[in-house]
Amino acid sequence: MSVSELKERHVAAIEMVNSLRERLKEKRRLLLDTDVAAFARSQGKRPVCFGATDLVCCRTLQGHTGKVYSLDWTSERNRIVSASKDGRLIVWNALTSQKTHAIKLPCPWVMTCAFSPSGQSVAGGGLDSVCSIFNLNSPNDRDGNLPVSRTLSGHKGYVSCCQYVPDDDNHLITGSGDQTCVLWDITTGLRTSVFGGEFQSGHTADVSSVSISGSNTFISGSCDATARLWDTRVASRAVQTFHGHDGDVNTVKFFPDGNRFGTGSDDGTCRLYDIRTGHVLQVYHQLHSDDTNPHVTSIAFSISGRLLFAGYKNGDCYVWDTLLAQMVLNLGTLHNSHEGPITCLGLSADGSALCTGSWDSNLKIWAFGGQRKVN
Amino acid sequence: MVMASSFDGQLVPQPAIGVGTVVDSRGKHRILAELKHLEQELRYLQEELEEVEKMGNISSVCKDLLPCIETKSDPLLPVLNGVVNPLWDRWFEGSPSSPDCGCWIL
Repeated sequence: MSVSELKERHVAAIEMVNSLRERLKEKRRLLLDTDVAAFARSQGKRPVCFGATDLVCCRTLQGHTGKVYSLDWTSERNRIVSASKDGRLIVWNALTSQKTHAIKLPCPWVMTCAFSPSGQSVAGGGLDSVCSIFNLNSPNDRDGNLPVSRTLSGHKGYVSCCQYVPDDDNHLITGSGDQTCVLWDITTGLRTSVFGGEFQSGHTADVSSVSISGSNTFISGSCDATARLWDTRVASRAVQTFHGHDGDVNTVKFFPDGNRFGTGSDDGTCRLYDIRTGHVLQVYHQLHSDDTNPHVTSIAFSISGRLLFAGYKNGDCYVWDTLLAQMVLNLGTLHNSHEGPITCLGLSADGSALCTGSWDSNLKIWAFGGQRKVN
Repeated sequence: MVMASSFDGQLVPQPAIGVGTVVDSRGKHRILAELKHLEQELRYLQEELEEVEKMGNISSVCKDLLPCIETKSDPLLPVLNGVVNPLWDRWFEGSPSSPDCGCWIL
Protein backbone atom coordinates (compact mmCIF):
# COMPACT_ATOMS: atom_id res chain seq x y z
CA MET A 1 0.00 0.00 0.00
CA SER A 2 1.38 3.45 -0.82
CA VAL A 3 2.02 6.14 1.75
CA SER A 4 -0.82 8.29 0.41
CA GLU A 5 -3.28 5.35 0.63
CA LEU A 6 -2.11 4.68 4.18
CA LYS A 7 -2.63 8.32 5.05
CA GLU A 8 -6.19 8.15 3.69
CA ARG A 9 -6.90 5.09 5.81
CA HIS A 10 -5.38 6.88 8.78
CA VAL A 11 -7.68 9.89 8.35
CA ALA A 12 -10.69 7.58 7.93
CA ALA A 13 -9.76 5.66 11.08
CA ILE A 14 -9.48 8.90 13.05
CA GLU A 15 -12.94 9.93 11.87
CA MET A 16 -14.39 6.57 12.92
CA VAL A 17 -12.77 6.78 16.37
CA ASN A 18 -14.10 10.31 16.87
CA SER A 19 -17.55 9.27 15.72
CA LEU A 20 -17.63 6.29 18.10
CA ARG A 21 -16.52 8.50 20.98
CA GLU A 22 -19.38 10.91 20.25
CA ARG A 23 -21.85 8.02 20.19
CA LEU A 24 -20.53 6.79 23.54
CA LYS A 25 -20.78 10.26 25.02
CA GLU A 26 -24.40 10.55 23.83
CA LYS A 27 -25.33 7.07 25.14
CA ARG A 28 -23.95 7.97 28.56
CA ARG A 29 -25.74 11.33 28.54
CA LEU A 30 -29.06 9.54 28.01
CA LEU A 31 -28.46 7.50 31.17
CA LEU A 32 -27.97 10.65 33.28
CA ASP A 33 -31.43 10.66 34.89
CA THR A 34 -30.06 12.13 38.13
CA ASP A 35 -26.87 12.78 40.06
CA VAL A 36 -25.85 11.94 43.62
CA ALA A 37 -27.03 15.27 45.06
CA ALA A 38 -30.50 15.10 43.50
CA PHE A 39 -30.87 11.50 44.58
CA ALA A 40 -29.71 12.26 48.15
CA ARG A 41 -32.13 15.20 48.39
CA SER A 42 -34.96 12.95 47.22
CA GLN A 43 -34.09 10.65 50.13
CA GLY A 44 -34.38 13.53 52.58
CA LYS A 45 -30.66 13.88 53.27
CA ARG A 46 -29.49 17.18 54.73
CA PRO A 47 -26.02 18.69 54.32
CA VAL A 48 -23.30 18.29 56.92
CA CYS A 49 -23.32 21.32 59.20
CA PHE A 50 -20.09 22.39 60.90
CA GLY A 51 -19.97 24.75 63.88
CA ALA A 52 -17.50 27.63 63.73
CA THR A 53 -14.87 25.79 65.78
CA ASP A 54 -15.50 22.20 64.74
CA LEU A 55 -12.65 21.71 62.26
CA VAL A 56 -9.57 23.48 63.51
CA CYS A 57 -5.89 23.73 62.70
CA CYS A 58 -4.22 21.99 65.63
CA ARG A 59 -0.62 21.80 64.37
CA THR A 60 1.60 23.80 62.03
CA LEU A 61 4.64 21.81 60.90
CA GLN A 62 7.40 24.29 60.14
CA GLY A 63 10.79 23.41 58.79
CA HIS A 64 10.79 23.42 55.00
CA THR A 65 12.33 26.51 53.44
CA GLY A 66 10.47 26.22 50.16
CA LYS A 67 7.08 25.32 48.71
CA VAL A 68 5.68 21.99 49.87
CA TYR A 69 4.70 19.88 46.86
CA SER A 70 3.69 16.51 48.26
CA LEU A 71 2.91 14.67 51.49
CA ASP A 72 2.01 11.15 52.59
CA TRP A 73 0.95 9.62 55.92
CA THR A 74 2.14 6.29 57.28
CA SER A 75 -0.22 3.37 57.70
CA GLU A 76 0.21 3.68 61.47
CA ARG A 77 -1.22 6.79 62.91
CA ASN A 78 1.03 9.74 63.28
CA ARG A 79 3.96 10.12 60.85
CA ILE A 80 4.10 12.11 57.65
CA VAL A 81 6.71 12.50 54.91
CA SER A 82 6.72 15.74 52.91
CA ALA A 83 8.62 16.92 49.84
CA SER A 84 9.57 20.51 49.12
CA LYS A 85 11.20 22.81 46.61
CA ASP A 86 14.01 23.14 49.18
CA GLY A 87 15.20 19.77 47.86
CA ARG A 88 14.40 17.80 50.99
CA LEU A 89 12.07 15.16 52.31
CA ILE A 90 11.15 15.69 55.94
CA VAL A 91 9.67 12.95 58.11
CA TRP A 92 7.47 14.33 60.88
CA ASN A 93 5.78 13.00 63.96
CA ALA A 94 2.57 14.93 63.39
CA LEU A 95 1.41 14.48 67.00
CA THR A 96 4.52 16.04 68.55
CA SER A 97 5.44 18.22 65.54
CA GLN A 98 8.99 16.87 65.78
CA LYS A 99 11.07 16.19 62.68
CA THR A 100 12.64 12.74 62.79
CA HIS A 101 14.48 12.90 59.44
CA ALA A 102 15.50 15.64 57.02
CA ILE A 103 16.67 13.92 53.84
CA LYS A 104 18.68 15.81 51.26
CA LEU A 105 17.71 14.50 47.83
CA PRO A 106 20.23 13.71 45.08
CA CYS A 107 18.28 16.06 42.81
CA PRO A 108 16.59 19.02 44.53
CA TRP A 109 13.72 19.25 42.03
CA VAL A 110 11.40 16.89 43.83
CA MET A 111 7.70 16.66 42.99
CA THR A 112 6.38 13.68 44.93
CA CYS A 113 6.98 11.50 47.99
CA ALA A 114 5.49 8.43 49.59
CA PHE A 115 5.75 6.44 52.83
CA SER A 116 6.17 2.68 52.64
CA PRO A 117 3.38 0.64 54.29
CA SER A 118 5.72 -0.54 57.08
CA GLY A 119 6.92 3.01 57.71
CA GLN A 120 10.54 1.96 57.29
CA SER A 121 11.20 3.61 53.94
CA VAL A 122 10.27 6.70 51.99
CA ALA A 123 10.38 7.43 48.28
CA GLY A 124 10.88 10.70 46.43
CA GLY A 125 10.98 11.61 42.76
CA GLY A 126 10.92 14.59 40.43
CA LEU A 127 12.66 16.28 37.53
CA ASP A 128 15.61 13.85 37.57
CA SER A 129 13.16 11.25 36.16
CA VAL A 130 14.05 8.75 38.87
CA CYS A 131 12.44 7.66 42.11
CA SER A 132 14.88 7.42 45.04
CA ILE A 133 14.20 5.09 47.95
CA PHE A 134 15.57 5.79 51.45
CA ASN A 135 15.61 3.33 54.34
CA LEU A 136 14.92 5.41 57.45
CA ASN A 137 16.90 3.02 59.66
CA SER A 138 20.13 3.31 57.65
CA PRO A 139 23.07 5.13 59.20
CA ASN A 140 23.98 8.47 57.66
CA ASP A 141 26.84 8.65 55.18
CA ARG A 142 30.08 10.59 55.71
CA ASP A 143 28.36 13.86 54.77
CA GLY A 144 25.66 13.29 57.35
CA ASN A 145 23.03 12.47 54.71
CA LEU A 146 20.73 9.47 54.62
CA PRO A 147 22.00 7.38 51.68
CA VAL A 148 19.82 6.34 48.77
CA SER A 149 19.09 2.63 49.20
CA ARG A 150 17.66 2.12 45.69
CA THR A 151 17.27 4.24 42.56
CA LEU A 152 14.36 3.42 40.26
CA SER A 153 15.48 4.55 36.78
CA GLY A 154 13.68 4.08 33.52
CA HIS A 155 11.19 6.88 33.06
CA LYS A 156 11.90 9.17 30.11
CA GLY A 157 10.32 12.14 31.81
CA TYR A 158 9.85 13.67 35.25
CA VAL A 159 8.28 11.62 38.03
CA SER A 160 5.12 13.47 39.05
CA CYS A 161 3.61 11.05 41.57
CA CYS A 162 4.38 7.84 43.41
CA GLN A 163 2.57 5.51 45.77
CA TYR A 164 3.52 2.20 47.41
CA VAL A 165 1.28 -0.78 46.74
CA PRO A 166 -0.76 -1.31 49.96
CA ASP A 167 0.84 -3.75 52.43
CA ASP A 168 3.83 -4.22 50.13
CA ASP A 169 7.10 -2.43 50.87
CA ASN A 170 8.67 -3.93 47.73
CA HIS A 171 6.40 -2.48 45.07
CA LEU A 172 5.69 1.09 44.07
CA ILE A 173 3.77 2.74 41.24
CA THR A 174 4.98 5.97 39.66
CA GLY A 175 3.41 8.35 37.16
CA SER A 176 5.49 10.43 34.78
CA GLY A 177 5.73 13.26 32.30
CA ASP A 178 6.62 10.56 29.76
CA GLN A 179 2.86 9.66 29.74
CA THR A 180 3.36 6.28 31.41
CA CYS A 181 2.87 4.70 34.82
CA VAL A 182 5.32 2.08 36.02
CA LEU A 183 5.05 -0.69 38.60
CA TRP A 184 8.50 -1.16 40.17
CA ASP A 185 10.11 -4.04 42.03
CA ILE A 186 12.13 -2.12 44.60
CA THR A 187 14.26 -5.14 45.57
CA THR A 188 15.74 -5.35 42.06
CA GLY A 189 15.13 -1.75 40.99
CA LEU A 190 13.54 -3.05 37.78
CA ARG A 191 10.27 -2.19 36.09
CA THR A 192 7.73 -4.99 36.52
CA SER A 193 5.22 -3.36 34.14
CA VAL A 194 4.86 -0.20 32.05
CA PHE A 195 1.32 1.13 31.61
CA GLY A 196 0.81 3.17 28.46
CA GLY A 197 3.54 4.65 26.31
CA GLU A 198 4.00 4.85 22.60
CA PHE A 199 1.40 2.89 20.65
CA GLN A 200 -0.19 1.38 23.72
CA SER A 201 -3.63 2.31 24.91
CA GLY A 202 -2.53 4.78 27.58
CA HIS A 203 -2.44 8.44 28.38
CA THR A 204 -1.62 10.88 25.61
CA ALA A 205 -0.11 13.53 27.87
CA ASP A 206 1.80 13.78 31.18
CA VAL A 207 0.55 11.63 34.04
CA SER A 208 -0.01 13.79 37.10
CA SER A 209 -1.44 11.52 39.78
CA VAL A 210 -2.04 7.89 40.75
CA SER A 211 -4.22 6.23 43.37
CA ILE A 212 -4.03 2.52 44.21
CA SER A 213 -6.79 0.25 45.52
CA GLY A 214 -5.87 -3.22 46.74
CA SER A 215 -2.95 -4.93 45.06
CA ASN A 216 -4.25 -5.10 41.49
CA THR A 217 -6.02 -1.87 40.64
CA PHE A 218 -5.02 1.73 40.25
CA ILE A 219 -6.28 4.93 38.68
CA SER A 220 -4.12 7.50 36.91
CA GLY A 221 -4.93 11.12 36.09
CA SER A 222 -3.35 13.06 33.27
CA CYS A 223 -2.93 16.34 31.42
CA ASP A 224 -4.87 14.64 28.59
CA ALA A 225 -7.99 15.46 30.68
CA THR A 226 -8.79 11.81 31.38
CA ALA A 227 -8.49 9.37 34.23
CA ARG A 228 -7.72 5.72 33.44
CA LEU A 229 -8.30 2.54 35.37
CA TRP A 230 -5.54 -0.08 35.20
CA ASP A 231 -5.24 -3.71 36.22
CA THR A 232 -1.61 -4.20 37.29
CA ARG A 233 -1.68 -7.68 35.72
CA VAL A 234 -2.59 -6.29 32.28
CA ALA A 235 -0.29 -3.51 31.19
CA SER A 236 -1.17 -3.54 27.49
CA ARG A 237 -4.29 -1.44 27.81
CA ALA A 238 -6.23 0.59 30.34
CA VAL A 239 -9.33 -1.23 31.60
CA GLN A 240 -11.33 1.95 31.15
CA THR A 241 -10.88 5.61 30.23
CA PHE A 242 -12.98 8.24 32.01
CA HIS A 243 -13.76 11.43 30.10
CA GLY A 244 -15.61 14.54 31.22
CA HIS A 245 -13.04 17.06 32.42
CA ASP A 246 -12.20 20.05 30.26
CA GLY A 247 -8.67 20.47 31.53
CA ASP A 248 -5.69 18.66 33.05
CA VAL A 249 -6.65 16.12 35.69
CA ASN A 250 -4.24 17.03 38.48
CA THR A 251 -5.33 14.62 41.19
CA VAL A 252 -7.16 11.31 41.52
CA LYS A 253 -8.18 9.46 44.69
CA PHE A 254 -10.12 6.26 45.26
CA PHE A 255 -13.36 6.55 47.20
CA PRO A 256 -13.17 4.52 50.46
CA ASP A 257 -15.23 1.60 49.10
CA GLY A 258 -12.96 1.18 46.07
CA ASN A 259 -15.90 1.18 43.60
CA ARG A 260 -15.70 4.91 42.85
CA PHE A 261 -13.03 7.54 42.61
CA GLY A 262 -12.68 11.30 42.71
CA THR A 263 -10.76 13.64 40.41
CA GLY A 264 -9.69 17.29 40.52
CA SER A 265 -8.87 19.35 37.46
CA ASP A 266 -7.63 22.60 35.93
CA ASP A 267 -11.24 23.09 34.82
CA GLY A 268 -12.01 24.01 38.43
CA THR A 269 -14.22 20.99 39.13
CA CYS A 270 -13.97 17.81 41.12
CA ARG A 271 -15.86 14.78 39.87
CA LEU A 272 -17.01 11.50 41.34
CA TYR A 273 -16.87 8.60 38.88
CA ASP A 274 -18.36 5.13 39.19
CA ILE A 275 -15.85 2.46 38.18
CA ARG A 276 -18.26 -0.29 37.22
CA THR A 277 -20.29 1.86 34.82
CA GLY A 278 -17.89 4.70 33.99
CA HIS A 279 -20.58 7.28 34.78
CA VAL A 280 -19.86 10.70 36.29
CA LEU A 281 -22.00 10.48 39.43
CA GLN A 282 -21.46 14.06 40.57
CA VAL A 283 -19.66 17.27 39.64
CA TYR A 284 -18.44 19.53 42.45
CA HIS A 285 -18.07 23.11 41.29
CA GLN A 286 -18.39 26.41 43.10
CA LEU A 287 -19.34 29.51 41.15
CA HIS A 288 -17.25 32.55 42.00
CA SER A 289 -18.60 36.11 41.90
CA ASP A 290 -15.44 37.29 40.13
CA ASP A 291 -15.81 34.63 37.40
CA THR A 292 -12.52 32.99 38.33
CA ASN A 293 -12.19 29.23 38.11
CA PRO A 294 -9.32 28.19 40.39
CA HIS A 295 -7.56 24.96 39.47
CA VAL A 296 -8.00 21.97 41.78
CA THR A 297 -4.56 20.80 42.93
CA SER A 298 -5.33 17.96 45.33
CA ILE A 299 -8.21 15.97 46.83
CA ALA A 300 -8.87 13.47 49.61
CA PHE A 301 -11.97 11.73 50.95
CA SER A 302 -12.77 11.44 54.64
CA ILE A 303 -12.82 7.85 55.90
CA SER A 304 -16.56 7.39 55.29
CA GLY A 305 -16.48 9.27 51.99
CA ARG A 306 -19.05 11.80 53.21
CA LEU A 307 -16.52 14.63 52.96
CA LEU A 308 -14.37 15.53 49.97
CA PHE A 309 -11.46 17.83 50.76
CA ALA A 310 -10.21 19.82 47.76
CA GLY A 311 -7.22 22.15 47.62
CA TYR A 312 -7.23 24.93 45.02
CA LYS A 313 -4.53 27.09 43.44
CA ASN A 314 -5.98 30.26 44.96
CA GLY A 315 -5.47 29.02 48.53
CA ASP A 316 -8.99 27.74 49.14
CA CYS A 317 -9.47 24.34 50.72
CA TYR A 318 -13.09 23.40 50.28
CA VAL A 319 -14.79 20.74 52.35
CA TRP A 320 -17.49 19.30 50.09
CA ASP A 321 -20.45 17.27 51.32
CA THR A 322 -20.08 14.53 48.69
CA LEU A 323 -23.72 13.46 48.98
CA LEU A 324 -25.34 16.89 48.66
CA ALA A 325 -22.57 18.46 46.49
CA GLN A 326 -22.44 21.49 48.78
CA MET A 327 -19.34 23.25 49.95
CA VAL A 328 -19.83 23.17 53.75
CA LEU A 329 -16.58 24.74 54.90
CA ASN A 330 -13.54 26.53 53.47
CA LEU A 331 -10.44 25.72 55.51
CA GLY A 332 -8.65 28.44 53.55
CA THR A 333 -10.62 31.13 55.38
CA LEU A 334 -10.32 29.69 58.88
CA HIS A 335 -8.10 31.02 61.62
CA ASN A 336 -4.46 30.01 61.18
CA SER A 337 -4.93 28.77 57.62
CA HIS A 338 -2.20 28.65 54.98
CA GLU A 339 -0.87 31.79 53.32
CA GLY A 340 -0.57 30.36 49.85
CA PRO A 341 -1.97 27.77 47.43
CA ILE A 342 -2.53 24.30 48.83
CA THR A 343 -0.62 21.76 46.73
CA CYS A 344 -1.28 18.52 48.56
CA LEU A 345 -3.45 17.01 51.24
CA GLY A 346 -4.09 13.65 52.85
CA LEU A 347 -5.99 11.92 55.64
CA SER A 348 -4.35 10.04 58.50
CA ALA A 349 -4.89 6.27 58.44
CA ASP A 350 -7.66 6.41 61.08
CA GLY A 351 -9.31 9.40 59.39
CA SER A 352 -9.02 11.60 62.48
CA ALA A 353 -6.80 14.26 60.92
CA LEU A 354 -6.25 15.99 57.59
CA CYS A 355 -2.80 17.27 56.64
CA THR A 356 -2.43 20.06 54.08
CA GLY A 357 0.78 21.27 52.42
CA SER A 358 1.25 24.65 50.82
CA TRP A 359 3.45 27.05 48.88
CA ASP A 360 3.86 28.88 52.21
CA SER A 361 6.37 26.05 53.09
CA ASN A 362 4.25 24.76 55.96
CA LEU A 363 2.15 21.71 56.62
CA LYS A 364 -0.94 21.98 58.80
CA ILE A 365 -2.93 19.36 60.67
CA TRP A 366 -6.70 19.77 60.92
CA ALA A 367 -8.93 17.76 63.26
CA PHE A 368 -12.45 17.82 64.71
CA GLY A 369 -12.38 19.72 68.01
CA GLY A 370 -16.09 20.23 68.57
CA GLN A 371 -18.83 18.22 70.30
CA ARG A 372 -19.90 15.13 68.41
CA LYS A 373 -23.49 13.90 68.39
CA VAL A 374 -23.86 10.14 68.25
CA ASN A 375 -26.86 8.60 66.47
CA MET B 1 1.24 12.14 9.91
CA VAL B 2 0.77 11.97 13.68
CA MET B 3 -2.27 12.32 15.92
CA ALA B 4 -2.95 14.73 18.69
CA SER B 5 -5.83 14.74 21.16
CA SER B 6 -7.85 17.81 21.95
CA PHE B 7 -9.38 18.20 25.41
CA ASP B 8 -12.77 16.90 24.26
CA GLY B 9 -11.12 13.62 23.30
CA GLN B 10 -11.33 14.23 19.57
CA LEU B 11 -8.37 13.11 17.50
CA VAL B 12 -6.90 15.63 15.06
CA PRO B 13 -4.52 14.64 12.25
CA GLN B 14 -1.28 16.63 12.37
CA PRO B 15 1.17 17.00 9.45
CA ALA B 16 4.49 15.22 9.97
CA ILE B 17 7.69 17.12 9.41
CA GLY B 18 10.30 15.78 6.99
CA VAL B 19 11.28 15.49 3.36
CA GLY B 20 12.87 12.90 1.04
CA THR B 21 12.53 9.19 0.37
CA VAL B 22 14.26 8.10 3.58
CA VAL B 23 11.72 9.98 5.63
CA ASP B 24 8.87 8.59 3.46
CA SER B 25 10.00 5.06 4.40
CA ARG B 26 10.20 5.97 8.08
CA GLY B 27 6.84 7.77 7.73
CA LYS B 28 5.18 4.66 6.27
CA HIS B 29 6.19 2.49 9.22
CA ARG B 30 5.01 5.12 11.64
CA ILE B 31 1.66 5.52 9.89
CA LEU B 32 1.19 1.73 9.87
CA ALA B 33 1.89 1.56 13.61
CA GLU B 34 -0.52 4.40 14.31
CA LEU B 35 -3.16 2.77 12.13
CA LYS B 36 -2.82 -0.44 14.10
CA HIS B 37 -3.21 1.56 17.31
CA LEU B 38 -6.33 3.27 15.94
CA GLU B 39 -7.87 -0.04 14.90
CA GLN B 40 -7.23 -1.35 18.40
CA GLU B 41 -8.83 1.78 19.85
CA LEU B 42 -11.88 1.21 17.62
CA ARG B 43 -12.26 -2.32 19.00
CA TYR B 44 -12.04 -1.04 22.61
CA LEU B 45 -14.61 1.68 21.91
CA GLN B 46 -16.96 -0.84 20.29
CA GLU B 47 -16.67 -3.08 23.38
CA GLU B 48 -17.40 -0.13 25.63
CA LEU B 49 -20.43 0.85 23.53
CA GLU B 50 -21.83 -2.68 23.89
CA GLU B 51 -21.34 -2.46 27.67
CA VAL B 52 -23.03 0.93 27.92
CA GLU B 53 -26.03 -0.39 25.91
CA LYS B 54 -26.64 -2.87 28.75
CA MET B 55 -26.24 -0.35 31.58
CA GLY B 56 -28.95 1.05 33.81
CA ASN B 57 -29.48 4.70 34.68
CA ILE B 58 -27.30 6.54 37.17
CA SER B 59 -30.06 6.42 39.82
CA SER B 60 -29.47 2.66 40.18
CA VAL B 61 -25.80 3.37 40.98
CA CYS B 62 -26.62 6.20 43.40
CA LYS B 63 -28.72 3.80 45.51
CA ASP B 64 -25.53 1.87 46.39
CA LEU B 65 -23.66 4.96 47.49
CA LEU B 66 -25.77 6.08 50.46
CA PRO B 67 -25.49 2.96 52.64
CA CYS B 68 -21.80 2.80 51.81
CA ILE B 69 -21.23 6.22 53.38
CA GLU B 70 -23.69 6.07 56.25
CA THR B 71 -22.52 2.83 57.84
CA LYS B 72 -19.00 4.09 58.58
CA SER B 73 -17.93 6.07 61.66
CA ASP B 74 -16.15 9.22 60.52
CA PRO B 75 -14.07 11.16 63.11
CA LEU B 76 -14.33 14.39 61.11
CA LEU B 77 -18.15 14.50 61.03
CA PRO B 78 -20.18 16.32 63.70
CA VAL B 79 -22.75 13.50 63.75
CA LEU B 80 -21.60 9.90 64.16
CA ASN B 81 -23.22 6.61 63.28
CA GLY B 82 -21.17 4.55 65.68
CA VAL B 83 -18.88 4.61 68.66
CA VAL B 84 -16.37 7.39 69.29
CA ASN B 85 -12.79 6.15 69.39
CA PRO B 86 -10.97 8.11 72.13
CA LEU B 87 -7.77 8.04 70.08
CA TRP B 88 -9.41 10.37 67.57
CA ASP B 89 -9.04 13.21 70.09
CA ARG B 90 -5.30 12.72 70.64
CA TRP B 91 -4.70 15.87 68.59
CA PHE B 92 -6.18 17.93 71.43
CA GLU B 93 -4.82 16.09 74.45
CA GLY B 94 -2.12 17.75 76.50
CA SER B 95 0.49 19.75 74.64
CA PRO B 96 3.08 18.33 72.30
CA SER B 97 6.73 18.63 73.40
CA SER B 98 6.81 21.88 71.47
CA PRO B 99 3.43 23.00 70.15
CA ASP B 100 4.80 24.07 66.76
CA CYS B 101 8.38 22.94 66.31
CA GLY B 102 9.86 25.80 64.34
CA CYS B 103 13.44 24.69 63.89
CA TRP B 104 14.54 25.28 60.34
CA ILE B 105 16.20 22.63 58.25
CA LEU B 106 19.25 24.26 56.65
